[in-house]
Amino acid sequence: MGNVERCDKTLPLNEMMFYVRKDARLRARWQTDLETLCREFGLGADEAQALRDRDVRRLNELGVHQYYIPQIMRLFFGAAANSNTHPALEAYRRAFPEETARAFALAERLERRAKG
Amino acid sequence: MASIVAAMAMTHAPGLTGWFDRAPAEQQQEARRALGELRQRLESARPDVIVAFSNDHLLNWPINNTPEFTVGIGEEHVGPAEWYDEWLALEQYRIPGHPALARYLVNEGARRRLAFAYLRRMQFDDGISVPMHYLNPGGRTALVPVTMNCTVPPIPTPERCYQVGTVLRAMLAAWPGPERIAILATGGLSHEPGGPRYFWVDEEFDLWFLDLLKRGDHQSLLRECTLERMEQAGSGGTAELNAWILALAFTRGPADVIAYLPAIAWRTGTGMVVWNELA
Repeated sequence: MGNVERCDKTLPLNEMMFYVRKDARLRARWQTDLETLCREFGLGADEAQALRDRDVRRLNELGVHQYYIPQIMRLFFGAAANSNTHPALEAYRRAFPEETARAFALAERLERRAKG
Repeated sequence: MASIVAAMAMTHAPGLTGWFDRAPAEQQQEARRALGELRQRLESARPDVIVAFSNDHLLNWPINNTPEFTVGIGEEHVGPAEWYDEWLALEQYRIPGHPALARYLVNEGARRRLAFAYLRRMQFDDGISVPMHYLNPGGRTALVPVTMNCTVPPIPTPERCYQVGTVLRAMLAAWPGPERIAILATGGLSHEPGGPRYFWVDEEFDLWFLDLLKRGDHQSLLRECTLERMEQAGSGGTAELNAWILALAFTRGPADVIAYLPAIAWRTGTGMVVWNELA
C-alpha cells in the first residue's frame, strides 16, 4: 500500500487537526499561542518541533495523516488561491524535491503536447 | 415506485473552483465544456433528488472513528464548511435535503446488514461542494449526500463498494415514493493529496481506468482495478474512485467519457463520465 498507510491514527496531532479546522477560536490560537495548544492536545516533542519547523517531510514520517499536512501548511500560510506556487505548496517542493521535479517535468511535457 | 434516472461521476478537485484559472487555457475550456455537458445531461433526466457519494476528507469524523459510509439526513444542507469557503472560493450555498429518503437508507440499510452512520448536520468540503456548484447551482434539486471513507486505513476495497452499491440499488428500487433519483459519484481520478507525489497525476492509470469503464465489463474492472493498483496511482486520493465503483453497480454497459484532463494545476486527474444504461 501507499504513503497513506504511514498514518498513525493515534497521533495527538491527527486529533488536534480535526478540531482546529472546525473552530475559529482554535485557529486564532494556532496563530498566537501554538505552544500552549500543542500542550493541551498532548502533542509529543517531535510533533511540536515538526510543526514549529513547518517540516512537511518530518510530519509525514511521524505519521500525520497526509491529508492534514497541506492543511497545516494552509494554517500557516493561508488557504486562498492554493495553486502550485502558493507558499503552502512551496513547503512541499522543498520536502519532496525529486517527486516534485518529476511532476513538473510531466506538466511541461503535457503542455507541449497540448500545444501540438 | 422510485426510479433511477441517471448515473454519472466527476472529479471534485478543489482547484476546479479554488484556483481554476491557474490551469492551462485549453484545460479550463475543456473542463467548462465537460461540466456544462454533465449538467445538461443531469437536468435532462429531470431528477427529483440527487444521491451523491463522495469521500469524507476527515471533516465530519475524527480519525479515531471513521465510518465506512455516512448519510446526511438533514432537512437542508449548507456548505461549504467554515474555513473551506476561502479555499474553494465559494459563497455559502443551501440545498434542500430529502430526510425521508435519507433516513430510509439508514434504517433499511441496517435491516440489510449495512452499517450507515448518519448526520443531521453534515459538513461539506470539496467532495460535495464542487460538484453541486457545477451541477446543481441554486440548489434546485434535493440532495441526499452519502460520504465514504476513501482515505483513512483500512480503506474499503472496490469489491466492497460495488457490493454496497448493489444493495443500495435494490433499496432505492424498493423505496415506495415516486421520486426520480440521480446517482452521482464524486472523487478521483489519480491524485495523492498531501503525500510525496502531491503534484503528480498518473495519466496512464487514469486512461486505463476510463477504458475499463468504456468497456462496461464490471467483473473485469473489479478484478483488475484493485485497491493496491489505485494506491500505486496516488495514495490516499485515487481510492476516491471507490465512489465511482459504487455507482457502477447502478449501471450496465459502457460509460461515456465526457472528458479527461491530466490537470497538474489542480493536482488531480480530472474526469467526467455518464452511464447511458441503468441496471
